[in-house]
Order: sequence, then C-alpha cells, then structure tokens
Amino acid sequence: MSRAKLQGLGIDLPLFPVTSVGSFPKPDFLLKARAEYANNRIRRGALEKAERQATEFWIRKQEELGVDVLVDGEMYRGDMVAYFAENLEGFEEGGLVRSYGNRYYQKPIISDEIHWDEPITLEWWKYARGITKKPLKGMLTGPYTIMDWSFIEYYPDRRTACLALAKELRNEVEALVEEGAKIIQIDEPAISVRPEELPVAIEAMHIMTDGLPAYFISHICYGDFEKIYPGLLDLPVDNFDLEMSNSGLDMLELFKRSSYTKDISFGVVDSHSHEIENDRIVEQRLRQALEVIPKEAIWVDPDCGLKTRTVDEAIAKMQAVVNAARVLRKNSDE
Amino acid sequence: MELMLCNHSSYPRIGDDPDRQLLRRTIAQYDKGEKTEEAVRAAQDRMTELALAEQTEAGLDLVTDGQIRWADPISHLAGKLSGVRVNGLLRFFDTNFYFRQPVVQGRPERREPLLLEEFRFAQEKSARPVKAVLTGPYTLARYSVDENGGSGGFDEMLEGYTAALAAEIAALAAGGAAVIQIEEPALLSYIDDFPRFERCLTALAMNKDSSQLALAVYFGDPAAVYDQLQTLPVDILGLDFTYSPGLVDRVASSGTARTLMLGLVDGRNTRLEDPAATARQLEKLARGAGLNRAYLSPSCGLEYLPRDRARQKLRQLAVIRNTFLGSLS
Repeated sequence: MSRAKLQGLGIDLPLFPVTSVGSFPKPDFLLKARAEYANNRIRRGALEKAERQATEFWIRKQEELGVDVLVDGEMYRGDMVAYFAENLEGFEEGGLVRSYGNRYYQKPIISDEIHWDEPITLEWWKYARGITKKPLKGMLTGPYTIMDWSFIEYYPDRRTACLALAKELRNEVEALVEEGAKIIQIDEPAISVRPEELPVAIEAMHIMTDGLPAYFISHICYGDFEKIYPGLLDLPVDNFDLEMSNSGLDMLELFKRSSYTKDISFGVVDSHSHEIENDRIVEQRLRQALEVIPKEAIWVDPDCGLKTRTVDEAIAKMQAVVNAARVLRKNSDE
Repeated sequence: MELMLCNHSSYPRIGDDPDRQLLRRTIAQYDKGEKTEEAVRAAQDRMTELALAEQTEAGLDLVTDGQIRWADPISHLAGKLSGVRVNGLLRFFDTNFYFRQPVVQGRPERREPLLLEEFRFAQEKSARPVKAVLTGPYTLARYSVDENGGSGGFDEMLEGYTAALAAEIAALAAGGAAVIQIEEPALLSYIDDFPRFERCLTALAMNKDSSQLALAVYFGDPAAVYDQLQTLPVDILGLDFTYSPGLVDRVASSGTARTLMLGLVDGRNTRLEDPAATARQLEKLARGAGLNRAYLSPSCGLEYLPRDRARQKLRQLAVIRNTFLGSLS
C-alpha cells in the first residue's frame, strides 16, 4: 500500500479517493475554437484562451462533483500520442488512421532522433494548479505507448525507439516534480500489446521514475491483461489505473490467483458507452473489488478517459463514481 | 513467373482532404440525428468507389472493396448473426485498432446475406476483378465470449460460425466472386490447434463452387505451420513476411502446392520498401520455390496506414514488380 508514501509527500486522501483517467470532452466553445484555428480564422492566443476557459470549466466541475484528485482534462490535447509527438523533436505528423468505429487519430512518424527541448505539459499543470487547492495529477503518455502508436522509420527496432523516448521524457517528469507535482500519471495503454516486450516497457519506466519523489500511476486499458500479469507488477509505479468494468471485472479473477500488490485506480464505469451506469451497479462493482483488494489500496474512477462522451455524459458518469465512493466510505465508517 | 498485384483486404476509409472525410463527417452527423441511414450508405458507397479507383490507378490486378463499411473485422460479420450480441471494445491483435467483442448467447446463425450486397456493389463499380474478403470462423470464435451456457463451449461456437460463413461463401460464389479470401490471423496464435482449424477450412471449401478460395494468415510468423497450411483445401495462400526474416528462405526451400499471395510489403509501417531488395526476395522465391504464378500484396490490410502512405504502398507494388521483371530480362 502506498498511503504512507502519499502522506510522506504531504497528501492525505480519504478512503476510495475519486479521480479520473485524464481526458474530458471538449466543450462546444472549444471545439468551435479548434475548428476556427484549424481553418486559420483565429490566432493561437484565442485558441489558448478557449483552452484555459475549458480547463477551468472542468476543474470547477470536478470540485463541484467532489472528485479528490483532479486532472486538467487535457483540453489542449488532440490525441494522447500525437500531442507529445508534436512537441518532441524527431517526429513528423502522420495522416489519419482509425482507432475504432468512427474514431481516428493522427499516427506520428518517428523520422529522426528524438529530443526533448522544453517542458510539454508543465505550463498546463501550473495553470490548473493555480486555480484549485485539490491535489492535481501530472499527466503524460508513456514511452512504450508513444513508440507502439508511432510508425518507426529512424530507429532500427522498437526497443531502441522506446528507450530513446524514455530518456527524453524523463526530462518532462523531472520538470513536473521540480514544479511540485506529487502525483504523476504515466499512461501506458499499449503495454499489453506484445507480452514479450513487457521487459522493455519496465526498463523504460525505470528510466522515467527511478529516484524521483512522486507517487506514480500508470493507466493501462483494452488489452490482454492475462498475458502480462503478474509480470506487470514489476513496473515501477505505485498505482495501476485499470479498465475494470468494460471487461466485466474479470481481472479480479487474476488477482485472486496471484496477489495484487499495488494500489489500484479501479475503473467502475464504461468510458465508451453512452449509457449512464446506475449508482447501485457501480457500488456493486466496488464491493466486488473489496473482496480481493484491501480498501486502503482502492481509488475509484472511470475505465478510461471520458473525452469521447458528451459533456453531460461525462459529468453523469463522474457523478456515479463519486456517489459509489461516498456510499462505501460511509459504510466503512459504520 | 506471372506476378499479379493485389490488395490484401482493408483500405483507409479516411484521408486528409475534405472529400475523403465524407464518411467520418456523415456518421458523426448521423449520431447527432442530423443525417439519415441512407446518407451514411451513400457516403459508404462514395468512399468505396474512391478506394476502388485508387487501387485501379495503382495498377492492381485484383482489388477489394476496402472494407469501407466495416466497423471492424469481427463485429461486422458476427454482429449480423442471430445468437450473437456485440459488446465492449478489445484490441485487435497487436494493433492500435479496437473491435467490438461478440458475445455468443445462442448458436450463431446466418439469417441474411452478410457481404453479398457489398460485394455486388464493388464489382459493379470496379474496373478490375474484386476479391471478396471474410474474417474466418476460427478468428471470430477466438475473439468471442461464450455465454451460450451449452456443453459444447468453444467448439459449438466455432461450428456455428463455420456454418454461417460457409453459407455466405456459397452466396458469394453464386454471386460471381472469382476469389473469396478467408482471413485467419488468430491461427498463428494457436498453431497447436491446427486440426480443429483444418476442419473449419474444409467445411468452408466445400461451398466455394468455381470460386478460388484464398486463406490469409498474418500478424505472426507462419513458418512453424507452413507445411500444414500447404495441406489445406485452398487455392491461394496469403502469408505475412514481416514477422519473420527467415520466411523467404523457408518458402523458397519448401516450395508450394498453392498459389501464394506474398505479403512482402509491410502494411503496418510507413517506411517504403526498397524495390531492389524486395525484387531480390521475389527472385529467391521464384527460383527456390519454382513459382509459376503468384500475387504480390501488402502483408495485411492497409487500414493501419494513413491514406497517402497506403496509396504509396500500392504504387510501390507496381514499382517492385517492374524491378523484378527487369531483373529477369
């Protein structure tokens, strides 16, 4: 359990702390601003103003809902990999490829040596921290996922590309820590893609986190978890943020077979469904988690980023998460 | 050696210009209630025509409809069968593409044609022969959740999918499909299960009539199962050469009893193949395996690439063929 580590960092959280995976939907005014910017109808400054306004909207909304550990909502990002590729040297922009259904993303191309020049997410983290007193996660996409979701033309193989990325992205983590970030999430949704490459992902995460005074979370989703568990427990982070409800909580069976030893951000609502989960269903999912994982180790959140939902759906899903956490907290007190 | 050029299966259904974003735009508007189903179908028709035209322009001898209408390779077929509902997202092999996972609650049964209308449309609009492409029953079953509750388990699910797809193959053959391709990437993850797989393929092959039946395996190294693949009742065998540096030598030394579809052009990475190096691989295969006739193709569907790069890959097929033919003369 890492509660002692959090307390050592000066962070005191309630039982079942509520957080979110990272992204929230962009409000209409920001979508309009992004479209206008893409068509050269507004300047960069006007877009950034809309992004700040949208960030504040989500910070306030999370506070109103009663979320315990906030995110900035990623209003400034298009895609979780393309955003970093746009801000690191060595990448060129690729065209659109489909991720699922009617969703597409611009898959970057690693066409030269990767280099981190200056902080990428830091200014947004500082802006969000300036408008809330709640704990705020620093957020970045991990090196394995950026490598896996890019076309590799420059480096001879995947491992070399991944470790080069880790070495450069460590600068970003250090910049966040230096500025005061205590909780940092490094998203690695691709980590289960090629089980034989898990050691590469672990090696890269060591490069990213070793020796740094922060509580690290890694978000992992939509993969064949069975093939990388329990080896995944060697990933040097404190908390795995996992998509549990989409897969019918079947990972709990794995945890029964081989003990789960980290904190967990337990996904209790499906991020890719329009349906708003009933409070009782969400509570039930959490109760099932409690049968396998100690209560002190459980955080609660949606399965994945909520950016593909409408604003109203995202708020309603977060409300369901908060409601369930409150009921369980109350029951724990009794 | 007669070397024909063909697309593998999928093709990007989006591009960078507004015309090629028609389908995305229309579906988004449909989701908001601003467009009708007819408008979505019209956008799918238009994007299919564009995909066919780009393949023809690249000089392919055998094209596909690009699977433009497919939500994904699994639910597009399984979701049309009775006894199956479609559930949450799951990653498709080691790609960054996600499909909706089928949940089998009763025997999967085909109540209506699955792909016949799509094939007819493409054939009518295409200047070149169109290959019909289906995801195979083994891959569908491996990616399905069994909630049927019967005692048959996986085998019962597999049998249902096999019967449904066998009926579709009969319909496609009757509808004039000269080549019908069964996609079975899951086989390479379960090569010990080959006898079961063979039974499926045999059942499918019985319905092919005068069509040529192709089997495509990809997203893995087929070397370990190559000899067994040669025993299957198919006319064309499609192989992905990108997972195995030794596969060219393996095929060259073993030969083939089937027409090969040589996936030597990487459908997953943007780096363009060196025509001279690929032509040398072709020479080795032609000489070693004694090939009289083969298809040169991408290693898998091209939907994993941006459209401009997918188009370049198709054009590169022709460049490679010219280099290869030049080296022979």
